[in-house]
Amino acid sequence: MEINFNINGKTAKVDVDPAMPLLWVVRDELNLKATKFGCGAALCGACTLHIDGEAYRSCSIPVSFAAEKKVTTLEGLSESEDKLHPIQQAWMEENVPQCGYCQPGFMMAAVNFLEKNPNPTEEDIKTNITNICRCGTQPRIIKAIKRAAQLSQTATL
Amino acid sequence: MATEDKKPKKKFSRRKFLQRGAIIFGGTVVAVIASKGPIRRFLAQKAENMDFPLLVSTQEPSFWFEVLPDNTILYKSTKLEMGQGIFTGLAMLAAEELEVSLEQIKVVHANTANGVEDSLGTGGSNTTLSLFKPIREVAATLREMLKAQAAKQWGVPVAGIKVENGIMTSGNHKATYYEISTSTKEWKTPETPALKPFSAFKYVGKDVKRIDLKPKVTGQPIFGIDQTFPDMLYAVMLQSPYIGGTLKKLNTQEAAKVSGVVKIVEDNELVAVVAKNRYAAEMGLQKIEAEWDVPKKWQQAEFEALTTVGLGTDVRIQSEGSPESLLEKTPDKVFKQEYRTPLATHAHMEPHGAVAHVEKDKATMYVGTQASTLFRSAIAKAIEVETEQLNIETTYAGGSFGRRIDSKHSEKVARIAKIVGKPVHVFNTRTQEFQNAIYRPQTHHVLAAKIGENGKIEAITHNQATPDQVLGAIPANIGYTLLGADFVSAGHGASILYNIEHKSATLWQNKLPVHTGIWRSVGMFPNTFAIESFINELAHKTGKDPLKMRLELLAGNEQINQRYKKVLETLAEKSGWNQPKAAGIGRGIAIGNDRKSIAAAVIEVAIVDNQIRVKKVTQVLDAGLAINPEGIRMQVEGATMMGITAALYEGLTVKDGQITATNFHEYPMAKLSDTPEIEVIILEGHTEPYGVGEPPLAPVAPAIAAAVFDLTGKNLRTLPLKLS
Repeated sequence: MEINFNINGKTAKVDVDPAMPLLWVVRDELNLKATKFGCGAALCGACTLHIDGEAYRSCSIPVSFAAEKKVTTLEGLSESEDKLHPIQQAWMEENVPQCGYCQPGFMMAAVNFLEKNPNPTEEDIKTNITNICRCGTQPRIIKAIKRAAQLSQTATL
Repeated sequence: MATEDKKPKKKFSRRKFLQRGAIIFGGTVVAVIASKGPIRRFLAQKAENMDFPLLVSTQEPSFWFEVLPDNTILYKSTKLEMGQGIFTGLAMLAAEELEVSLEQIKVVHANTANGVEDSLGTGGSNTTLSLFKPIREVAATLREMLKAQAAKQWGVPVAGIKVENGIMTSGNHKATYYEISTSTKEWKTPETPALKPFSAFKYVGKDVKRIDLKPKVTGQPIFGIDQTFPDMLYAVMLQSPYIGGTLKKLNTQEAAKVSGVVKIVEDNELVAVVAKNRYAAEMGLQKIEAEWDVPKKWQQAEFEALTTVGLGTDVRIQSEGSPESLLEKTPDKVFKQEYRTPLATHAHMEPHGAVAHVEKDKATMYVGTQASTLFRSAIAKAIEVETEQLNIETTYAGGSFGRRIDSKHSEKVARIAKIVGKPVHVFNTRTQEFQNAIYRPQTHHVLAAKIGENGKIEAITHNQATPDQVLGAIPANIGYTLLGADFVSAGHGASILYNIEHKSATLWQNKLPVHTGIWRSVGMFPNTFAIESFINELAHKTGKDPLKMRLELLAGNEQINQRYKKVLETLAEKSGWNQPKAAGIGRGIAIGNDRKSIAAAVIEVAIVDNQIRVKKVTQVLDAGLAINPEGIRMQVEGATMMGITAALYEGLTVKDGQITATNFHEYPMAKLSDTPEIEVIILEGHTEPYGVGEPPLAPVAPAIAAAVFDLTGKNLRTLPLKLS
């Protein structure tokens, strides 16, 4: 079935099984590899991306759900390599990643979270972001989300 | 990702000794720096501290430098970057002697096609320690070769040439490394130059951010799972959901009908659904009807009982005085406890897998592996090609923790690619990651001590029952016949370091019906939990402060005792050990050593809704010379979080012949909400770096257990720690 949607500002047209998880469409049909496969059951958050501005765990969302909608992956977050999104700047400043595999999902979850809670407490961050990281970057992720909140506020002033 | 296909024009001559590194200009290898150098000395000295002591026989250079046209230096690493930050530390070391800025060093994974070999692999927290000197020596040699050529061209003395950022100057003469490298045809390899004194280091000892930060923050396709070939297919393997299960009956008719499925591979025990995309492959797998022969439907109690002190082969690894007879003579003065740690797995976030393309006379595999050299020979054998025909392109790994040292999964991927005749992408489902894994062995520990006058510990014995972590990986059972039990990995940390006159440690090894293997911090993890928990209990029993008791037990002038004392004294001060605790807070301590490093933690916990919550962790690490303190802090933080998972949540159970966990909901791990305040203190004062990745994990669980006891009076002796 042919499905159209917008991906990172561009039109995407795919001809796939409408039940195929959006994750595999994004990764393998559209060749955007930042969105990761971790568990296939919406438990770890490695595949988090945005659909019409909402965070979704794309391993458990059929591509048909994205039809005619606007999908954003980590690749579409920043204007360019030199002008990173505040969340990526904060991740750089706090030197967050270790293996780095889960980080795109964390960043996408954090962007959506900060849009709803622009000035979160540490407790807000801890209870709302439920992605999994095995390397143990949690302390730095918390710091980076706080830092991103600051950066975003400075940017909008 | 960037790959290097340039083959050296000349094959290396086989040497009788170990070679350290190679230098390449314009695609031609001009120098292989060889000697009975530090790596070999290091191996000889540290055999007892290694995980693969019998596999070290490399006769090829283990890393390469290449001078590139933009005057940067390419460093090809056989060591896997799996999150531990070694690319950054190695680049810092190379930059010191090359006299270039850190930004001028690019680090990539070496492939196996260009003669870079590393039979040792990546692990054992050994990378920085083993390469600390060799990498600087080869870098210094490269610098001196370039300087000598510049001197010859300019007709000036070498000594007068200055180098900064890879640009050489002498009077009015000026040239980049690259310019000199391309205008020279004949090279001379000098004697290894003297190395910079530590006082002249520009980078070593300073906080440096990871050099792979940007690709990881922008989501570049650097992992194995991200790799592609044109016309690539996707496959998922059928794997037994039962322990020891073998295929009895197979019906793939319905699977073959699934839209997008192109082939069902059936080759002896190997069954895989190959499809145009991953989704179709997974749908096909679901349609396979399989019946399994299960030799025994294991239940948890009988499975756990396999690992019991007294069962299997025993090897005594420590024996001082006559502790057993002392304990026997005075049974009323003996204090004895038992501890258990569970079966677990690595649960790295990128599932296991590889991308392979097997052609008529060559084969290529993209895989994040801790052991590319071992993988190469094993996989070549599995697909019946010459080793030289197979190129392993190592990719960044999405975590590993010891898992990516075993080649069996990749061998199957290569077999599928060969049968299909097209490139194929094969990665496990998360359920397979739990049910078809390599497991951290469960352990059982019995500790006994004789308490004499004034609470003096006169004798102590430690019996550890553990399946092996490494013997199965050593060819032809050499491991079992030579060593008897696995004290090279599973037994790390089993000996008693404390100054007790009579002491012994014994390992009991009994195989499990699942594949057990290396897991971050190997035996140090269960042994530190058992021994340090026991020491904490002894302190309570004898009415002593646990920290002071340890200091008393470290009397002696040996260097290790002095280092222990300094770690503990620093920890007491930084953690506020002697200050009053807040209400509702329990405090515990533990210390351990491995890979020459010492790690100790004081941990504060609270109980919230009958759950143990870790509030504050103070870790002191003496890891020798700190190359990149920022990198070390990241490792300690990471080990602390992994330690919290291991202490509070992690463990696999067995029921009706199956590993019960099928996904993360049945294998919970620490989340942001579990993150305590973490303070990391790095001690300085040595002349070489020690292991960093593993040691800080070990003190976490026993310190948490001690803190829970401090708060509740309950001694929890089984991991994961549960209040009820």
